[in-house]
Amino acid sequence: MRTLVFLVAAVAACAQDGATRADWNYHGGTQFAWRYSALDQINRTNVKSLAPAWAFQTGDYEMGLQSTPIVSGGVLYLSTSRSQVFALDAATGRLIWQYKYPLPRGAVPYGPQNRGVALGGGYVFIGTYDNNLVAIDQKTGQEVWRVTMDDARQCGCTITAAPLVAKDKVIIGGAGGDSAHRGYLTAVDIKSGRVAWRFYTIPGPGEKGHETWKGDSWKFGGGATWMTGSFDPALNLVYWGVGNAAADNDAGPRFSGEGEGANLYTASVLALDVDTGKLKWYHQEVPKDVWDFDSSYECLLIDREVRGKMRKLLVHINKGGYAFVLDRATGEYLDGYPIVDNHTWTSGLTEDGKFVGVVEPVAGKSTLICPSPLGGKSWNEVAYSPRTGFMYTPTAEICSNETVVPQEAHEGRSFTSGTWEMVKAPNGANGSHIDAYDPVTGKRQWSYPYKYLLLASLLATGGDLLFTGDPEGFFFALDARTGTKLWSFQTGSGHRGSPVTYTVNGRQYIATPTGWGSIAARMTTALWPETDTFRGGSTLMVFALPEGGK
Amino acid sequence: MRAAFLLFAAAAIAGAQNASTRGADLFNQTCASGYCHGARGVGGGAPRLAARGFTDEYIAQTVRRGVPSTAMPAFAGQLPPADLAAIIGYVASLNGIAPSGRNPMPGAAPERSLAPDAAQGRQLFFDSVRGFGRCATCHEVEGQGMPIASPISRVPANPAELRQLTTPHVQTVGSGGDTYPALVLSKGSKQVKLYDLTSPPPVLRTLAPGAVTVKEGSNWSHANVLTAYNDSELGSILVFLRAVVRQ
Repeated sequence: MRTLVFLVAAVAACAQDGATRADWNYHGGTQFAWRYSALDQINRTNVKSLAPAWAFQTGDYEMGLQSTPIVSGGVLYLSTSRSQVFALDAATGRLIWQYKYPLPRGAVPYGPQNRGVALGGGYVFIGTYDNNLVAIDQKTGQEVWRVTMDDARQCGCTITAAPLVAKDKVIIGGAGGDSAHRGYLTAVDIKSGRVAWRFYTIPGPGEKGHETWKGDSWKFGGGATWMTGSFDPALNLVYWGVGNAAADNDAGPRFSGEGEGANLYTASVLALDVDTGKLKWYHQEVPKDVWDFDSSYECLLIDREVRGKMRKLLVHINKGGYAFVLDRATGEYLDGYPIVDNHTWTSGLTEDGKFVGVVEPVAGKSTLICPSPLGGKSWNEVAYSPRTGFMYTPTAEICSNETVVPQEAHEGRSFTSGTWEMVKAPNGANGSHIDAYDPVTGKRQWSYPYKYLLLASLLATGGDLLFTGDPEGFFFALDARTGTKLWSFQTGSGHRGSPVTYTVNGRQYIATPTGWGSIAARMTTALWPETDTFRGGSTLMVFALPEGGK
Repeated sequence: MRAAFLLFAAAAIAGAQNASTRGADLFNQTCASGYCHGARGVGGGAPRLAARGFTDEYIAQTVRRGVPSTAMPAFAGQLPPADLAAIIGYVASLNGIAPSGRNPMPGAAPERSLAPDAAQGRQLFFDSVRGFGRCATCHEVEGQGMPIASPISRVPANPAELRQLTTPHVQTVGSGGDTYPALVLSKGSKQVKLYDLTSPPPVLRTLAPGAVTVKEGSNWSHANVLTAYNDSELGSILVFLRAVVRQ
């Protein structure tokens, strides 16, 4: 009997649980980044009755509302552009406190957008548009500590991503990989605000991987960590995607041809020991990256059977439009598959995960390359449902005519060494689609096509629903099993944020940022001129089933 | 005479074309990345520049001064005036405005040039390769760097003196069971603001007055944080500071 109890407990302890329930504690729901909630009060049968419960207007709509709300104990924490934070009663939208970040001096590289806060140790953390990491008292909204990651007037960098709390640390990346800048990931002690470690994504002299850089190019070689990573407590590893090499389109001045890989650790996924910041393994997805194919996106951590064996997996998509399936304990490459229909830049992946038949942009004439530097997927995040077993992806089918225009590196200044003209994909008129995939084999289960670009994250729920919004302002629910649209609501402005779900006093709410804007949104106005008239905004819309009608 | 006039006109047109080619080239190198305005000022991540009905004055102002709190930097001082004029002319042409030939940088101060050893010191002062160990982590000079320490008003004679330099304002603070060297910025009835100088980068703390003890003096000195430079490099940095700091 005692043995049996022990066995049951052991199985329960081993089963991976990446679902949220009452709260939405982390950027990706949990540290595994599933963007999945087990809540099922709102489901396929009753979703047609879903109606607005409350709305909150932030008043700051520069670059749209790109945030992921965080919810804990009935309080919702929302960041907006210009690094403002609001704490709201999650059932009513009543303002509890507002944190106003002071206006920085001068320009802000890449713009003032912010993609979310993190919670831990009684603090709310935000990375600011002038590269500070701030801890705010969760109860009062008062600033507790602030520490400067870099000088925005020098580095050509900014923080847009949400931080990730892991153990006693808050980990924060940065944007700036298309400037003459050297990327890093920084861990800060939650309590003291002191920097615990910093990992430079480009190895310095004497470090392994440094030989993959020509001359001094490593000093300004990009490798920004501009989205939010994941954490596996059992392995004690932090996973983070690293962006493109700089200059984006021109590898001539930076590619040495020496060592394994090219321009390490750009366009790679890293596994770092959370306590020390030491590199455990890396997997470079796009060696030499001359397409701005950033591997900076979210790392989905799932345990699934691969070829008859249970594996701890990391599934990761980059802008090149391919998904990679890695063993997250070792970094071993297991599988890879395209998620876009248009991928002219490569003829595909070899058995061991190397891209072959690549088409590189050149100087003096333009080359058609699919996907575009906007990505086969933009940063808006995937969802994974353990009920269907599917990974849901928002895909962009856009190409670009690219020309190399060599530039000299001037620290902090734009350093893309190329021009891009976004064009529609030759294959198919639709701008994007949402797909359901078997995340291990890459077999597409269903597809939901859409005219323009879908630039909002996906949310999967235990009610077998998949929520997201479109640029025209519709927030909608698909049947997670079939892709059939079951419900939609016109919110008044397009979607570029990440919806979440939670409960307060047993009632399930779905909250979504609305407010069109962003770099990607502007890039596509050349393809669909009518989208130039889509209105900006910055409102959190919250939905629930009518009270009493659960 | 007429022939001469035609020749002159042709030369002027060729000159204008050269200027506009140069403007386009500079625009492509400086402004046309996909994250910024895109080729021909269309389809980039920043606002469209073509056919917006801009005036040349507005274009010149915006290029020179930037737009605060957005991604648009001030290019005055970043590019030579002739290059700025060429870019402004190109953006004007995207808006159907003929080049005015006006000086886009009236009254601009001539660029100051530093002697080679001072320039080397400047590079070291801001050297991002040295991470948080660089001087600019705590010091602002010439509008760059973090203004955590008070403006530098006295430059030490040599590296040894610099290492021994203790800042009189650094005190010893106790809070949350921790004792550390700190720069106290303000002590109000509601809150105390201070920089924790335990290790670079300094942490700005906001504390309740009752939660803080402050003692005069500290064991902090520059020697604790000057680990990223050797004496010869510090010497160059001091030359730079002597050239730019009013003592």
